[in-house]
Amino acid sequence: MIINLHRKDNFSHTVPKKRRMLSSTIERKTLGFFFLPAGLFMVAFLLFPLLKLVYDSFFAVGDNYEGRTFIGFANYIKAFTSQQFQSGSLHTLVYVVVAVGLETVLGLVLAVILTNKYRGFKAIRTFLLSPLMIAPLVAGLVWKFMLSSQFGIVNVLLVKVGIIQSTDSILWLADSRFSLLACIIADVWLTTPFMMLMFLAGIQSIPESLYESAAVEGANKWQIITKIILPSIKGVLFSTLVIRVIDAARTFDIIWAMTQGGPQGSSELLSVQIYKMLQRYGDVGYASAMAVIFIIVLIGLTLFAQHKQNRD
Amino acid sequence: MFHERFGRNKSDNFWMIAMYVLAGIFLLAFVFPYLYMLFSSFKPSNEVISVNPTFFPERWSLENYRSVFQTSDIGTNFANSFIAALVSTIICLLLGSLASYAISRTAVSRFSNFLLVLVLCLKMIPMSSIVVPIYGLVQQFGFYDYLPVLCIVYAGVNMPFVLWMMISFFKEVPVELDEAAAVDGAGPLKSFIRVILPVVTPSLISTGIFTFLLAWNDFLVALLLTSSDAKTVPVALSEFLTSYNLDLGPMTGAAVLFSFPVIIISFFLQRYLVSGMLAGSVKG
Repeated sequence: MIINLHRKDNFSHTVPKKRRMLSSTIERKTLGFFFLPAGLFMVAFLLFPLLKLVYDSFFAVGDNYEGRTFIGFANYIKAFTSQQFQSGSLHTLVYVVVAVGLETVLGLVLAVILTNKYRGFKAIRTFLLSPLMIAPLVAGLVWKFMLSSQFGIVNVLLVKVGIIQSTDSILWLADSRFSLLACIIADVWLTTPFMMLMFLAGIQSIPESLYESAAVEGANKWQIITKIILPSIKGVLFSTLVIRVIDAARTFDIIWAMTQGGPQGSSELLSVQIYKMLQRYGDVGYASAMAVIFIIVLIGLTLFAQHKQNRD
Repeated sequence: MFHERFGRNKSDNFWMIAMYVLAGIFLLAFVFPYLYMLFSSFKPSNEVISVNPTFFPERWSLENYRSVFQTSDIGTNFANSFIAALVSTIICLLLGSLASYAISRTAVSRFSNFLLVLVLCLKMIPMSSIVVPIYGLVQQFGFYDYLPVLCIVYAGVNMPFVLWMMISFFKEVPVELDEAAAVDGAGPLKSFIRVILPVVTPSLISTGIFTFLLAWNDFLVALLLTSSDAKTVPVALSEFLTSYNLDLGPMTGAAVLFSFPVIIISFFLQRYLVSGMLAGSVKG
């Protein structure tokens, strides 16, 4: 399972037979009965909207949802051939790869640093967790404020260090070359602590004896990191990556707060594009087709990852 | 291995210093934006929009906080956010724990496996694409900008997250407990309430914190479903910074008021947070 990590799952894998046989203490009828109330909520607010989306994707829908004509897969063909959808996909891909890549590397470095049990490191860990509680929207607003070319402190600091000449040399949010990067910065700030926490938990489940035998063999710290720590947390690394890839692809709040997808669509991820198309331009059929493609890709990714992990 | 004392040998000393330096740099980088926000909120409003910003306020002032309360309905927004998050969390925990208990106890059956995969898939749907159909549904029944509906919608959209987390917690509870209860003559519902729930209370707390945070931090659903009566803080916050007005000062004040309590509470509940984080992703 993707989200179910660590000892719990490993444990249930090592004693499968007895557990699995015993674990059916509830009958099917009771299962249905217990699941029903929660199920109704999910049907009303997730499954029904989803089916509506699929249904709409086969129609050309007029303004205000009035007058619809069945047009088969025409919306899908339109999506695949449209320049806009392609650039949205490209932005999503770039965003996911760069943001998740940076978060993984920084998260790993941080986790290795905090594995040292030095004085004060526990407090540092606690402080590093604070971005985790902040709303993505607030993170976006904070960074919009800090990256502003007029009132932003980031450019002032960059000028003081001597990296740029004047505070309007880099228009983070108004220059189409930098807008996506600006959003990525906010995402990295918001989520690297999550990566750190997951990796740290993985590292903590490495038995002390492994380190000890490595020390006896005369391994140095670098070798311990690359030969023991990294291979041991491969499972955690994979799960965390999957969670983050899907979350990053779905990012909406940060982009909306910082650029709303602009300038000229340069930071428009698919999630933002679909939302705009649905909400502002009213092309429901086409927007639904884009959304369905997007959802299929995400769910495909999820199921593939789950399958892979269950096999391991 | 990773807890030597200082001064044992040269390479250890070097390593230790390097670790402290790196940790310090990271700490600074990650805490800076939040501290900057905090200090900016105590600047007089003209200093917030200075073209030459400083980290610390030159003059401390509560002007931003005062103007947030004067120029907007932030009090109502806070009440809305709190009620929506709390009520939806309670619904989610009540119904979600029942459903996930049942799934975790029938892991072999094909039907429950189907439900499990369905829940996972529903969890992965991007909200930005289904929030408009949800809006259509709410609109149709005439419940736009109505707080109770916001609570119910949050309960619905966060349910897969709750189920997913609770299933992994319930799987750790030994089945022998259920069997013992059944031997004593308790039905499934009774043994769930009397025997299982008390065991998983810590897990319920951590799931609850995250579910609360999901609803509290949500922007998109509230953006579409509310306009004035049921408006939540994130929507109000976003309105401080539009292309038409740039109320940076009040925005910093409101953002601090919005995030600070959460961070403080999380510090005290860290134990639950970490265990919850390992069972499920933060942003369901």
